[in-house]
Amino acid sequence: MAREDATGVSVKAAKFDYILAESVEEVVATLDRGDGEAIVIAGGQSLMPMLAMRLATPAMVIDINNIAHLSGIDVRADEAVIMACTRQATALASPQVQARLPLLAKAISYVGHQQTRNRGTVGGSLSHADPASEIPLAALTMDARVSLASASGTRQVALADFFLGPMMSARADNEILLSVHFPLGSNDTRMGTAFHEVSERKGDFAVVAAAAQIQLDANGLCSKAALAIGGVDGVPRRITGLEARLLGSRIDQDKIRAALPEIANAITPGDDQHASAAYRRRVAGVLAERALLEAVAEAEQ
Amino acid sequence: MNQKTGDNLRYVAHKRRVREDRRFVTGKGKFVQDVALPETKHAAVLPSPYPRARILAIDTTAAEALEGVAMVLTGQQMAADCNPIRLGLKLPEVKWYPLAVEMARYAGEWVAIVVADNAYIAEDALELIQVDYEPLAPIIDPEQAFAETDLFVHPGHGSNVLYHGNFLWGDVDGDFATADDSLTFRARWGRSSTVPIETFGALARWDEGTEILDIWASIQMPNFVELLANTLGYPLNSIRLHQDVDVGGSYGVKRGIKQSVLVGYLSRKLRVPVRLIEDRLVNMAGGDAHGPDRIFDTDVAFNSDGIIKSLKIRALDDAGAYPGRAPFQLAKPISAIVGPYTINSVKYEAISVATNKTGQVPVRGFGQAPTNYMIEMAVDTVARHLNLDRLEIRRRNLIPSDAFPYQIPSGSNYDSGDYHTVLQKGLDLARYDELLQRRDRARAEGRLAGIGIATCLEPGGGNNIFEYLMDPTAEITTFMEACEVKVDPQGKITGMMGTTTSGQGHETLFATILGEELEFDPDLIRIVHADSLSALPTRSPVASRMAIMLGGAATGAAGKIKDRAMAIAAFNLDLPVEDLEYSGGTISDRNDPSRKLTWAEICFIAYRAYHKLPPGMEPGFHAQYVFQVPGGGQLPDAQNRVQIYPCFSFQAHVPYVEIDPGTGKVSVLDYAIAHDCGTVINPDIVRGMVIGGLAHGIGAALYEKFSYDGEGQFLSATFADYLMPSVHEIPDVKDVEHCTPSPLTSHGQKGSGEGGYLGAPAAIASAVNDALHPLGLSITELPMRMSEIEALINNGPG
Repeated sequence: MAREDATGVSVKAAKFDYILAESVEEVVATLDRGDGEAIVIAGGQSLMPMLAMRLATPAMVIDINNIAHLSGIDVRADEAVIMACTRQATALASPQVQARLPLLAKAISYVGHQQTRNRGTVGGSLSHADPASEIPLAALTMDARVSLASASGTRQVALADFFLGPMMSARADNEILLSVHFPLGSNDTRMGTAFHEVSERKGDFAVVAAAAQIQLDANGLCSKAALAIGGVDGVPRRITGLEARLLGSRIDQDKIRAALPEIANAITPGDDQHASAAYRRRVAGVLAERALLEAVAEAEQ
Repeated sequence: MNQKTGDNLRYVAHKRRVREDRRFVTGKGKFVQDVALPETKHAAVLPSPYPRARILAIDTTAAEALEGVAMVLTGQQMAADCNPIRLGLKLPEVKWYPLAVEMARYAGEWVAIVVADNAYIAEDALELIQVDYEPLAPIIDPEQAFAETDLFVHPGHGSNVLYHGNFLWGDVDGDFATADDSLTFRARWGRSSTVPIETFGALARWDEGTEILDIWASIQMPNFVELLANTLGYPLNSIRLHQDVDVGGSYGVKRGIKQSVLVGYLSRKLRVPVRLIEDRLVNMAGGDAHGPDRIFDTDVAFNSDGIIKSLKIRALDDAGAYPGRAPFQLAKPISAIVGPYTINSVKYEAISVATNKTGQVPVRGFGQAPTNYMIEMAVDTVARHLNLDRLEIRRRNLIPSDAFPYQIPSGSNYDSGDYHTVLQKGLDLARYDELLQRRDRARAEGRLAGIGIATCLEPGGGNNIFEYLMDPTAEITTFMEACEVKVDPQGKITGMMGTTTSGQGHETLFATILGEELEFDPDLIRIVHADSLSALPTRSPVASRMAIMLGGAATGAAGKIKDRAMAIAAFNLDLPVEDLEYSGGTISDRNDPSRKLTWAEICFIAYRAYHKLPPGMEPGFHAQYVFQVPGGGQLPDAQNRVQIYPCFSFQAHVPYVEIDPGTGKVSVLDYAIAHDCGTVINPDIVRGMVIGGLAHGIGAALYEKFSYDGEGQFLSATFADYLMPSVHEIPDVKDVEHCTPSPLTSHGQKGSGEGGYLGAPAAIASAVNDALHPLGLSITELPMRMSEIEALINNGPG
């Protein structure tokens, strides 16, 4: 519907040019031309409300929903690749994701509601870079990388370097996020994962969330530990100090509790009307402990 | 009134389909947005970013120059052409205009309005308006507002206090002196509201030919057209409110008076229809639709056996910047100020203050939900103090069933009730013994678990007399409702009501009662909404009153229709009326049923055969009835005792919750409610009210809050920050009805629209506090947010 035909609508975005792109080449060429004033839309679950409320006022909106090869899940020998425009619901329902990327599946079940997951995309969530969002947190825990394309080529960035602040990432204005790459361990690794989140209502952004992925060796000792906390800083935070203290040990509750103080050094939570910084600090420890215990228990099974 | 109840009923109290459902479920409702008038222009409003600021200048030139913009109006220009909007209380120096004049008094207050060819252009133009503000320190805290001696929201008023009254009913000092013990507590009800999906919308068209201002608005409000006429300075009979639009949700908050004044004024000025539909941000911040925000300080006197003797209540309510009818929400609860308990005396200090926040409007229960929360807190607090079971203390204090009608200290006569039985039904439904075991098992496993108990009243029927309690110049002693019933030449029946409807199912209600009384299938009875120029007197669907009041009017009008039919039959059969029998519209001789007049014959005579009408009877076939509030009509006595509402419904709530001690998150896992609103006219409607109201109450108890920061900035303008519970947060509710008919109404019915909302917040608070009890903790502020509960449990800084 053209703006001029709109009668009394209550969604009133500022004027922008709309481009329904047919190829990645067209997207990157348009982004280049857009000079920072162009934005890519996929599922629109964050961007549409921002446009409607005029919190975002781009000159140009590039719709990538028609680019078929931007959707899909591909499990290779050493990595799983999820294309940016893959719906969250599709990823959640994928047997491959459930089998090989269990932490991602657990995280996505907390993303919004069934209805929003039918539209919302994996890449869109990463691009949006909300520090309380689940997919970025899980992907960070899983040591994922993203592929970014521009007119001058493609590069990969580790998620550890990708998130720069609330809704800010290393993606340049002229880049599109193409895909996310999850490294895969061997199938026989004893791995356990867990995702814990607290929000006032089901489907909300996390007030605090914790994601854990633990690998155990044949002796039951921790060969790899990953823990990240969301909602407690401008970006999702890996708690590397805690990970280091668990590595090589037999993880139990005492071990975890002894390592939990590392979280406090790694996060800088803020206050808002939903929870204080002090709440976020305390609950980060509570959820981290729960997630680690559950992940270890799963790995031990 | 000759009351028909129980087994004699053929449509009333039977489970029958709600007639409104079909059009809403199939998307055939007609809302303000759906009214299509040629050449309609669209309005958008500019909110103040500051809670308190002097408006030094507004430059609208760039906005006016934008192509497609018809007009930009500022507060100063609007005020020059209208009167301030009349407030409930007479506060001449509290001037409320549709747009801020000289001073913005809350973040989100509208300072200018744009009219344009479409909503996009209107929004574009807003960005071009330059406002020069001088920000000032705001008044945010209600206690500070009350104590303030020189910082005023309305400087001309010379104080932030809008109302301060003291009431004393009975020998409070004596009761406190003779009671075994007393305690004091504070309870705080947070700023929440009803927040409908459908924001407020209004469409106006000035008809140059008839000189009538036509308005379509999603309104639910008594006196709306009067307020509109007064503000615009028009005669009342030059405004026509179309009441056949679907309002959407409301429960009190759809009072868009400033919205309607603006579109009315602009449509006349521009000679085109003008529509304003609030968007979510505008609605939440500047739609003036927030609810009560109240601090209670209560002293309770009681004996060691748990009998509560007396209450001293101080209620301080934050009405926001423009009070409207907000202060009256402190007065209506006087009708049930002791709840369902035999409390002997009450002192009540009611204070309403202005702050630099969004204005308060009536919300479901008109102040009764916060009051019920406080009363139930009092009962639970005494029980805890005495180490007495919360059920036992209620059983000792509930008014016994043989005591009705029961007069409370403030003068209300409770019409009927069977509180002990309803409570027991609620406990049975909850399987209370098993629930206790479940709670104790959970506790043994280290979880925090609690059962809530709340026994609350719902006054129904409405009666404006509370206004007189606050303002003795307001001698208003009726709050009537009327209807007209027409039988057409085909014999088909049409009922005409005088108000809009906002989801309460009035069409079903009205048709059911007409069908019952006239013995016709209600599904064949047409119900229409008269516009305000053709409507009979109405006070609108507020105050849990329509079952009582429209029900009474419908019964009265149906009686007149029947009387007329009987008179026609008596004349034509040459028999006295006493010998006639009415059955489904056919009137026959009791002694010789073959002698009869059919409904078709009666209708023919009424419309076509003047020579067969009894001498002096007007031709045609219709009746009007204006129903006065039962038991109302009196001013208070010298002790300020008065009957405010006529009917008192009762509810017993038994929820079960668990709290995650690590996060403070409350989960409502089970909920049983027993409900008594007398005769249920339509079971599905009442059940919907009970369960919907209960969900609304869970929202107020745990999630919903319009938050402001210390600088007066509004933090809850979207549904990401104003947290309404969804289906995930509401458990499967078990409900059971009990019927104690009201002796005052046509079929024994009482109010039910405020339903579960009036008790659920108290019940959830009771459950959460039961869960916290083993830790020796309690929480006394709503909403009980998880972060605050966690802080309490872990004794950390909030």
